[in-house]
Amino acid sequence: MIKAEPKAILYFIWNYFDVVRDLFDTQANEGIIRKETLAVILDKHRKDIKSQLIEYKIIRPVNDDFELRDVYHKLIEFVLFEFRPMLPEEIEKFGNSISELFRKIQEGIAGDKNILIERLIAISGQIKEFSDSVEKNSIRLLSETRDLKANVNRIDYKEKIVKASFWIQYYISPLNKILDVNHSESISNKLLDISEYANQRQLNFDDEAIRKSFQKLYYLLRQTNDDLLRQSNILTNELRPLIERIRTENLILTGWIEFLKNPYKVVPTKLLKTDTDKPFSTKIYLNTKEYFEQFTHAEEAIIEEEPPKVERWIFKKGHYKKKLVEKLPLENFFDWCNEELKDETNEITNEKVFALTGLLFEEDLVVSFSDKNETTKIKTATSNLNVPKLIVKRNGVS
Amino acid sequence: MEYPEKHRQIVEELMNGRFILSRENHFDELKQHEQDFYVPFFQNSFGHKLIITQEYAYLVSEETDENISRDISIFFAIFCYEMDKQGKNFLDGLQYSEHSFEEVNLLFETSSFIDLIQTNKQIKDADARRKLLFNTMNKKNIIDKINEDKFTFTPAYKVFIDFAEELGKTRTTGNNIVTTEE
Repeated sequence: MIKAEPKAILYFIWNYFDVVRDLFDTQANEGIIRKETLAVILDKHRKDIKSQLIEYKIIRPVNDDFELRDVYHKLIEFVLFEFRPMLPEEIEKFGNSISELFRKIQEGIAGDKNILIERLIAISGQIKEFSDSVEKNSIRLLSETRDLKANVNRIDYKEKIVKASFWIQYYISPLNKILDVNHSESISNKLLDISEYANQRQLNFDDEAIRKSFQKLYYLLRQTNDDLLRQSNILTNELRPLIERIRTENLILTGWIEFLKNPYKVVPTKLLKTDTDKPFSTKIYLNTKEYFEQFTHAEEAIIEEEPPKVERWIFKKGHYKKKLVEKLPLENFFDWCNEELKDETNEITNEKVFALTGLLFEEDLVVSFSDKNETTKIKTATSNLNVPKLIVKRNGVS
Repeated sequence: MEYPEKHRQIVEELMNGRFILSRENHFDELKQHEQDFYVPFFQNSFGHKLIITQEYAYLVSEETDENISRDISIFFAIFCYEMDKQGKNFLDGLQYSEHSFEEVNLLFETSSFIDLIQTNKQIKDADARRKLLFNTMNKKNIIDKINEDKFTFTPAYKVFIDFAEELGKTRTTGNNIVTTEE
């Protein structure tokens, strides 16, 4: 017994819909609303409404935890259009109850009128529930499949094909079987039989109330059969191709990944080998590009200063020997060298001094030291040479 | 002897390795004379096999152009793989979408197959990819070049996708893949 006014309950749901929605999502994900989760949700929305939720019978305790009552769960599911995919076995149960009721209606057609009317109402209820279940399932399956196709969750392609196969095997194919009018055991086929029966009875039954009940059932079935046909078309034209396409895509990707592992070992698809004779090389593009590229970046120019001119001096032995011989006897050979080099060159270097020293080894000259062991200094470009004072005379004659 | 109309255009294009598409006028002519003329014509004259589907026609030869086929296959493989990785529907992309070269280029720049890309001359950088796409594939009628940046794929892409699908089937059935000799 609920003490609150119906309007108060609906107002409560309207007012605290965000809380109710969170409770619905929690139950959809976890199967139950744990007491800690309930506290977190209420705290998040800053609403202390636990007692009303229980009082209005929106949630009910399950041990220490809670769950949404079925009627509210279905209401929220419906207004959010977020349906749990039903297993075909759950849908098929409607088929069984519809068949059973239809059998009893046929058997009791001449029996008690009241029970006949009750059975007609009951079968209508089952048909409506069946139709609703199919529609909800199609909506959910379509949403799941589209998400899978768009890879919303960015799952691996192998997982994608596993999921696609799962939806086909357990949901889509069985649902298709339930809706397939060409299948003698399908519920859709059974509904067509009932529709035909109801059509006959609405026209030729003595009791007007029963005739009207059959008429209602007939119109309901006409509408239901249209709805089921539409759902069947969604399955045939959209869901199955969508799933098949996911399968195909994955097969292609599997092939490409295999190919990319080592594309040079797989024989690619055959194409024509064209025999075109061109007056230019097939590599003309890259060659030309390479040729021009070498001019696109001018090399950095480096200006190097010219090294200072170095006097190129050649020792002319004959020339110096002649001059030396003319001066003989010489009292100080290195003084003569110094004077000669000063006169004839720009600069006195060690090299020039040593070159002139070579004249001392000429056979027609006699070289001796001065008695006083005197020395002479020669200043060259790089050194100060301290050399002995050497006397040079002509060999034998002087 | 009377040749079919547009015979010269048909032969020239097919012999240049071009795909003739069903939307082109001369495809109808080719299709109309498929069995009575063109199949034996190409077989007897050049030893080439003429393949005609509902959407395109092309020639294959015994001595096949493996390099171009492989380069284009690598292009499609990376394109499909990277599109899928981004959560995009690559089959729809191939069939219906207009593509920008820059976007496609980005797929290659950020691809995890970068080693393979860098070692293949036809796709190693943006210039090479542009040439493969706008030159080679355009000439073969595998893409429609809209402008310097935009293009769409023609139904000829299916030749390469079918190849991948066959490879995928071989892979999933556990058979060995045909490989070239070492």
